[in-house]
Amino acid sequence: MATRTVAFEIKRQASPDAPAVWENFELEWRPGMNVVSAMMEIAANPVTADGRPTTPITYDSNCLEEICGSCAMRINGKARMACSALVDNLRQPIRVEPLSKFPLVRDLQVDRNVLFENLMAVKAWVPVDGTYDLGSGPRVFPQQQEANYPLSNCISCCCCMDVCPQFNELTGFVGAATIAQVKLFNNHPTGKVFKEDRLRALAGDGGIQECGFAQNCVDTCPKQIPLTDAISDISRDVLIQKAKDFLRG
Amino acid sequence: MATAQQPAAPTVSRGVQPLRAAQGNTFLFRKLHSLLGVVPIGAFLLEHLLSNFEALKGPAAYGAQVKFLNSLPMVRILEWTFIFLPILYHGLYGVWIWLRGKSNLVYYPWAGNWMYTAQRYTGLIAILYIGQHVLRQRFMGVQLPEHPYAAFAKVQHELANPWMLAVYIVAMVAICWHFSYGIWLFAAKWGITPGATARKRFGYVCAALGIVLVVIGLSSIWAFVGGKYPNVPEDLTPAISQFIAPAHLDCTTKMLSS
Repeated sequence: MATRTVAFEIKRQASPDAPAVWENFELEWRPGMNVVSAMMEIAANPVTADGRPTTPITYDSNCLEEICGSCAMRINGKARMACSALVDNLRQPIRVEPLSKFPLVRDLQVDRNVLFENLMAVKAWVPVDGTYDLGSGPRVFPQQQEANYPLSNCISCCCCMDVCPQFNELTGFVGAATIAQVKLFNNHPTGKVFKEDRLRALAGDGGIQECGFAQNCVDTCPKQIPLTDAISDISRDVLIQKAKDFLRG
Repeated sequence: MATAQQPAAPTVSRGVQPLRAAQGNTFLFRKLHSLLGVVPIGAFLLEHLLSNFEALKGPAAYGAQVKFLNSLPMVRILEWTFIFLPILYHGLYGVWIWLRGKSNLVYYPWAGNWMYTAQRYTGLIAILYIGQHVLRQRFMGVQLPEHPYAAFAKVQHELANPWMLAVYIVAMVAICWHFSYGIWLFAAKWGITPGATARKRFGYVCAALGIVLVVIGLSSIWAFVGGKYPNVPEDLTPAISQFIAPAHLDCTTKMLSS
């Protein structure tokens, strides 16, 4: 019986300014294998399908269970997590490319720093640092906890931004993930101290108004975060904040 | 072959720049674009479609509607403030929005993404159509503000050209689509329908509205080309101002009495 194999086409690029090339790989099929386990195999034994040795493949990954958000890449054209992309569910050859909207580092590794800059720009945190014990925080009702929990699931994978037609160098759109985090921290009884700052920040250039509601973000989010609901709610909050600011002068 | 494709030209992406927190004015310009699409442009579209519907009652009723609209106080100021300038802004800013988006329908052929793309194409059809429509029907040929009863014949002559008829039908569908999905987008993006269920339900409402508007719009076109009122005279004013119509306007009097 012939060995069952899995075919991969991987986009390689040695450095940000090097030319991109496609390389084919063929691996022995194993039950339950996913794209990131295949990347590990290829990195450990970097030999192309026609037996030519090549450089070990570079990619980000960490937890391997869709919790850390590292291994986002484009698989058969779609941005998704490589760890939860089961080979058995994919059309072959499986084409693997880096995310398309982020500066490339090498091979499948990209620089997703823009998300962290955006999270900082909207103060996506609960300010509790101080020189003395602030005591326990305000009580969060279970209903509020349930509403916030899905938003807190964000793994910063940036898939929602890669699939967004508005997230590009021309608009400088902030992306759905950051907007959802604004909703999360504005809902938090202590985090809401920055509520107005966050809303004003999101009305800046590249802010929430750039959303075109194509809804790719919510369709693609590996954690099923209600991103369009967050965009809708926060859009209204931003609008009301701007109207208040205007009327108060 | 391991490296089947030759190297593509290297392009070093600097990446998307971070949010310019609380800086700039695009929020204001974008929200203005959004609001103008509903009021006054959407409101004017409804008025225009309802006025067109008068054509089904015949040339005289249509002329009377045109006369009524042109008799509104400060009508030229209303026209520029609430119709021409808003449409110009909405259209040009809309093209600007389109140019800054990067469609990825080929990779993500999903419903919302289709509608996103359709909103851009229908908008382009709308602005091109409205440009020629305003030019040819408002500013060229017989001046309807002075000769409101010439309206039916003017439109009928325009639609006698089958190519122009096709343009009007395509534009009617595109504009009704753009408006219907536009108010759905407005509700979603202004936080009026913040939940998935609300958006779905409102989607049905908007789809129904769009279908009703298309039916109203296409019926009005039918009034001009359907053959019920053939060869309407250039201007009905003489026929209406004189109770006894001359013999050559016989068909008109028949229509007026019907």
